[in-house]
Amino acid sequence: MNAFVIFWSVLIFASIAWYGFLVFYVGIKAGREIREMTKTLAKKE
Amino acid sequence: MTLTPLDWIIIVVYLIGCLAAGLWMRKFVRGVQDFAVAGREMDVNLGIASLAATELGLVTIMYTAQLGYDKGFAGAMIGVIMAFAIWLVGKTGFVIGPLRTAGVMTIPELFEKRFSKRVRWLAGLFVVLGGLLNMGIFLRLGGEFLVYATGLPPSWLEWVMTALLGLVLVYTALGGMLSVLVTDYLQFLVMGIGIVVTSVLVILHVGWGNLFDGMNAAWAAATAPGAQAGTAAHPFNPFHPSSFGWGYLAWQLVFQVAVATTWQTQISRVLAARDADTARRMYRRTSFYFVGRFLLPGLWGAAAFVWFSQHGGLPANLDSLTAMPHYLSLVLPAGIIGVVVAAMLAAEMSTDSGYMLTWATVIYNDLVTPCLRRPLSSRGELVLTRGLVIGIAVFLLFYGLWYELPGNAWDYLAVTGNIYLASVFTLLVAGLYWPRANATGAVAALVLGAIGPIVFLLLGHQYSIAPEIAGASSFSLAAVGMVVGSLATRARPPAATSAPAAPASRVPPAPSSLSPS
Repeated sequence: MNAFVIFWSVLIFASIAWYGFLVFYVGIKAGREIREMTKTLAKKE
Repeated sequence: MTLTPLDWIIIVVYLIGCLAAGLWMRKFVRGVQDFAVAGREMDVNLGIASLAATELGLVTIMYTAQLGYDKGFAGAMIGVIMAFAIWLVGKTGFVIGPLRTAGVMTIPELFEKRFSKRVRWLAGLFVVLGGLLNMGIFLRLGGEFLVYATGLPPSWLEWVMTALLGLVLVYTALGGMLSVLVTDYLQFLVMGIGIVVTSVLVILHVGWGNLFDGMNAAWAAATAPGAQAGTAAHPFNPFHPSSFGWGYLAWQLVFQVAVATTWQTQISRVLAARDADTARRMYRRTSFYFVGRFLLPGLWGAAAFVWFSQHGGLPANLDSLTAMPHYLSLVLPAGIIGVVVAAMLAAEMSTDSGYMLTWATVIYNDLVTPCLRRPLSSRGELVLTRGLVIGIAVFLLFYGLWYELPGNAWDYLAVTGNIYLASVFTLLVAGLYWPRANATGAVAALVLGAIGPIVFLLLGHQYSIAPEIAGASSFSLAAVGMVVGSLATRARPPAATSAPAAPASRVPPAPSSLSPS
């Protein structure tokens, strides 16, 4: 029982941390990629 | 009504922002390639945001919370398996590598190159049938969340669903995948903030120690001498017979690998990626997200279970599906609930848009186009695909209103998805990695693979057929069909495999490795 409790506890806090991290990391990086993508698409027109 | 004016302002600003961003991308759509696969210009981080947003819908939050309510944290084991499957596929490039390299727009398109035109059409039919049935319950479950979380009158559910779908429809039908990618990005951000804030507030509200104690107490009471057997599942151990058990989890491992390599909404991101390496990186980096996809809403569901069990039990008008949103309406303060509702709207919208676009693309590319005698003009292709998106929205609205779930939401989704997953997965693997596979084997695999899930949908409730039996039987039958059909017949030479090539496919030729051997 204890091993499962530790397993789920670690995963819950890791998931919260990972979601929080991705909001900032992917938020910045993907924002730049959208800008690049629209520039490329505009050049194709 | 739980919402304050501040909450409404947050929600309205978010909705206007999404609509504006979606409509802005419309000007970049010049043809069906831009509409369906974003001109194949998507890079890895945008892919992560889009994949995560599409695959984490409000329906996901509802059914994973239901699993958390019914099975405790053990219910999230499916997410762990899913994350492992996606990571493994990303690491090895299994199926997705050659699929992206083939330069197709949909999976069935590959089957014409590898098997025959008839196989492409039949596979397209199964993909659409399974996909639309699967998507059919999204709106109702999403609407139920909004009604219970915001305190709106239940009679508003249909109107809320209709308005939400109408909004998504506007930008999806006009901007296609380009609009979907940009709105997915916004929705990923709002959703991420909402999920983190809600999870922290739920833990603070119910208490970390109390959460575990509450689940332990319920399990101890259910297994005490004299208690009715089979009324509770082990809250932490997914392998325990009262929880999923080994058999179900083994089936899930196969099922999740099939999903990662075959599910068209995931594959559409692979096909929109710049190249196979980008697609693989996107999979690897998104994989852990899928643990939280099950575990965090599961945490909310488990907290709802503990809270209601310590406060007089679940009210009569609620069940395991609606307990979580009602609980959140009690937990979240004014202002925060606006952010969370916006986040949940984001989850619903990103999933609806991605799914509508995907199935419309398959209908256009694999069911309609192969039947056309002459290629459509570029404008005609766009009009047709947009019309299909609208048609799917109308179907969703009516199917979502009257269909009643035969079991829990997760089993319904798994089984309807399985209508095509088992057979198309078998076709993909055999087509890419087994030179002896041929069109006869492919048709046999498609038909036999669909039997298990369809029987479950029609008779599962009446004869108590276990979902893992229906699922496992469809994988086995599909494999048997492919092997026996291919070995029993000879592959025809390429020139004789199909009628004239489908018009306007507008895709590069397949690599030689995909030609029938």
